[in-house]
Amino acid sequence: MPVVELSYSRLQKLVGKVTKKQIADTLPFLGLDIESENKDLVRIEYSPNRPDYSTDFGIALGLQGLLGIKTGLVKLNVKKSNKYPIGVKSTVSKIRPFVTGIVAKNGKIDDKTIKQLMTMQEDLHFGIGRKRKKSSIGIHDLDKISFPLIYTTTSRDHKFIPLNSEKELTISEILTNTDVGKDYGSLLGQSSKVPLILDENEKTVSFPPIINAAVTTVTTKTKNLFVEVTGINKEDAEDMLSVVATILQTAGFSLESVKISGAKNSAPKLEQKKISVNSSLINQILGLNLTTSKIISSLKKSRLDASSKGANIVCTIPPYRFDIFGPMDLVEEVALGYGIQNLEPTISPSQTIGQINPISIQLKSLDQTMIGLGFLESLNSSLTSKRVLYEMTNRDSSKIISVLDSKSQEHTILRDSILPGLLENLSRNIHETYPQKMFETGTVFTLENPISEKINFSGISAHKDANFTEIKSVLQSALKIGFGINIETKTITNPTFEEGHCASVILDKIPIGIIGKIDSKIIENYKIRVPVVGFEISLSESILKNQK
Amino acid sequence: MSQVFHEIEKKIITSLRDNPKQSPETLEKSTQLSPDQIRRGIEWLRLKDLAVVTESKSSTISLGKNGIESFQKGLPERKLLDLLKSGPKKLSDLQKELGFVFGPSMGLARKNNWVEAISDQVSIKNPPSELPGEKTLNLIGENKISKDKVDLNDLSSLLKRPDFIIEDIIKSKEISLSDSAKSIILSDSSGEIDVEAKVPEIFVARTHPLKDTIDEIREIFVTLGFSEILGNMTQSSFWNFDSLFTPQDHPARELQDTFYLEKINAKKIGTPEQIRKVSESHKKNWRYQWDINEARKMVLRTHTTCVTIKHLAETKPDEARIFSLGRVFRNEKVSYKHLVEFNQIEGVVVGKDASLRNLMGIQREFYKRIGITKIKFWPTFFPYTEPSLQTMVYNEKLGKWIELFGMGIFRPEVTKPLGINKPVLAWGGGIERIAMLKYDLDDVREFYNNNLDWLRSTTKCQ
Repeated sequence: MPVVELSYSRLQKLVGKVTKKQIADTLPFLGLDIESENKDLVRIEYSPNRPDYSTDFGIALGLQGLLGIKTGLVKLNVKKSNKYPIGVKSTVSKIRPFVTGIVAKNGKIDDKTIKQLMTMQEDLHFGIGRKRKKSSIGIHDLDKISFPLIYTTTSRDHKFIPLNSEKELTISEILTNTDVGKDYGSLLGQSSKVPLILDENEKTVSFPPIINAAVTTVTTKTKNLFVEVTGINKEDAEDMLSVVATILQTAGFSLESVKISGAKNSAPKLEQKKISVNSSLINQILGLNLTTSKIISSLKKSRLDASSKGANIVCTIPPYRFDIFGPMDLVEEVALGYGIQNLEPTISPSQTIGQINPISIQLKSLDQTMIGLGFLESLNSSLTSKRVLYEMTNRDSSKIISVLDSKSQEHTILRDSILPGLLENLSRNIHETYPQKMFETGTVFTLENPISEKINFSGISAHKDANFTEIKSVLQSALKIGFGINIETKTITNPTFEEGHCASVILDKIPIGIIGKIDSKIIENYKIRVPVVGFEISLSESILKNQK
Repeated sequence: MSQVFHEIEKKIITSLRDNPKQSPETLEKSTQLSPDQIRRGIEWLRLKDLAVVTESKSSTISLGKNGIESFQKGLPERKLLDLLKSGPKKLSDLQKELGFVFGPSMGLARKNNWVEAISDQVSIKNPPSELPGEKTLNLIGENKISKDKVDLNDLSSLLKRPDFIIEDIIKSKEISLSDSAKSIILSDSSGEIDVEAKVPEIFVARTHPLKDTIDEIREIFVTLGFSEILGNMTQSSFWNFDSLFTPQDHPARELQDTFYLEKINAKKIGTPEQIRKVSESHKKNWRYQWDINEARKMVLRTHTTCVTIKHLAETKPDEARIFSLGRVFRNEKVSYKHLVEFNQIEGVVVGKDASLRNLMGIQREFYKRIGITKIKFWPTFFPYTEPSLQTMVYNEKLGKWIELFGMGIFRPEVTKPLGINKPVLAWGGGIERIAMLKYDLDDVREFYNNNLDWLRSTTKCQ
């Protein structure tokens, strides 16, 4: 989850009459988690579906609503203007077809505001921009740019001075030598042409989605801003723009429109939308009995507008709230505006009869039987390593099931057997008192359409007198008492077990597993100093019943 | 205080009062008890601080094969001196007489100035009457004697020679009564045992502590009217993500968070209608080209929700309370607070009772039954529920609120494409977190270490 760092005193100025404690108490009820606090500074985790909470300006809007200081919808006031035309060349349509933008004037920008805007930009890029793939933003000093602009493409030897650089670099140099170039260059593929925004004097403004030109850098002296968003579809680009526009207006800027034309592009609409929700749906889902006016006031506290039309509530939703898809989202907005702390938990008498799954019942009964036989239950990961599963135990590793890019070497393949894990457990306990007897039941995986998951049962006994007879007696009793079945054993050889002390476990003429004395070399591999006997059988096919 | 003693203990105490320091062997004779009874009796008395056991080591020595030969026929250097008694002799003659011991004997005799060799003539010079080692050799003879009785200096010259001296180290124990044992009154009554004595520890076989918590949680939900369903840990991305309205370019679907199975794709992921409607919902709401090949990629489930949603899509119930419980996977670095594989419980309520307040009520009841009463609810965000809440519970030990189960109502974008028309309330969360609170653990890895010391000693939590 993204994190934003704020200061309480700055928030207090933005919100209005409010104490620090009121802010701290209210933040969680906006869905914001306080990650840490240090005097005036507070780090807040917000949900990626609410990019408007990526700055203190956006959070202030939410706090004003819940605290009842200012409620209702935040309307974007965009002054129509002809001064800022952008032309789009059709060559961009194959790479990054859409551009949109807005002008924000007469604002005050201090260091903290710059920092907030930069975090917002990063978070928007990462979240709804899908790492700049879907859409990306450039924020520029308006006064360094001469309109009209042109959104076009250029070749990779085009040169300009990029942000944070002192000298001219070619596009190719930017892509190979700068961090942003390396991180995002792949978005442009192998195309020989790349997108570019040029101004009237053919000066580079931006190289989307990679980097802005140094000349338009925003500083504390900047008064007027130009924001451009480019992307692979128009709606996503406008969604992103609406967040930035709302934040800038809240930060004190006056918005003016840009004119966009060419190659299916047009000026952003930044329109409000209307969604109706039935008040009975709200009351049913929340378990409340709210009046229409209470519902409307709750929605307003969530910074939406609403009016009633019969049993329906008609909501007006500002463009930056594109996380609202339909009526159910409005139910949540009512709940938030009403206050989650005001929802009293209730318990309705259950009309249903609960039932443990028959498989769980049988496994639990097997656990009890094994405990009666003196075995301790062990639990191991199903995602294990080649070393444990194959190398240490001489098992056949030809049908391995691996996961991609595991961050842990100990967890790279799915187990097809439980016994190796139990041997590993013994090896970690060689300093503990013997006898050591353990068992485990759990899922094992094999390649089959595409993967079959079965439940296996394995047990192991290690002490100086451990022998085949002992472990066969254990398995025989466990299955007889647990499931009322009788097994036989038939001599076989297996690389994990000692020759002449190894048998196949047979149930109704079908082999269901293996039992025997673990080969002395394997015991040595594990540095275990006593004999070990064990078994593993499959329970799924013929022992566990799906219905009792 | 009167103490009750076992017959064995009484006999040992009585015997030690007559004869204060004894070895176990002498105690056997004096008490007529078996070696095993003596061993046990001493151990009991020692644990009660009534007997003191002093262990000591002693050595006996005897002569080996060459030692005995020298005892009988004299040391080789003595033979050399004897040959020279009658006057100087030629080196070659001496060599013939003495054979292979000539070299070492001659070397020793010359080094000590016992003999003198001028050109090839050897003559006696200045030998002592008793050569080093002779005293010891004669003292031991054919017996076994205590090492204490031997002159260690004299012995040292023999120790270097092969097979001369055999040394046996004998460990011995000496038992005596402690001061507190001296005042003890031994009653005559027999048949009583010392019920106050410490007894040895034995290890119980048991279910795994984490399994106990899992079973407890399972049973609580069953008593709340929920039925358990099971499902696979390997799932197609379709059921793990797509059906839950998680777009295919969502960061949660990346390799760095989710375990994808190498080169394994599902052939059949759903009915044609399910696939068509889910893909339409994605295209319309998330505005991207939905790709069926992405949906076919097999993953280790990142939550048990995929099991529940699949079940609901198959059964489309009007009323239901179901839950599923099992292992889920996240591609994380293993640490004291993160595992790659852990247990999750996840349940749903379908039907007319399905309201957010009821869902909160079920949670509150569940927490009450596992002993957590200080709880509150905060709004949160999950991609597939709306509204969404999380439970915060107060942990006294940490002195802070911690996040436990999440909950919410499945989005219509999830339920509608799968033909589920009733509201579905869902809740769920990790089990290890609750088990850590119960067993007071700081490191979640302890549950999967299978450390016998911990498994054998941890108290069950009920």
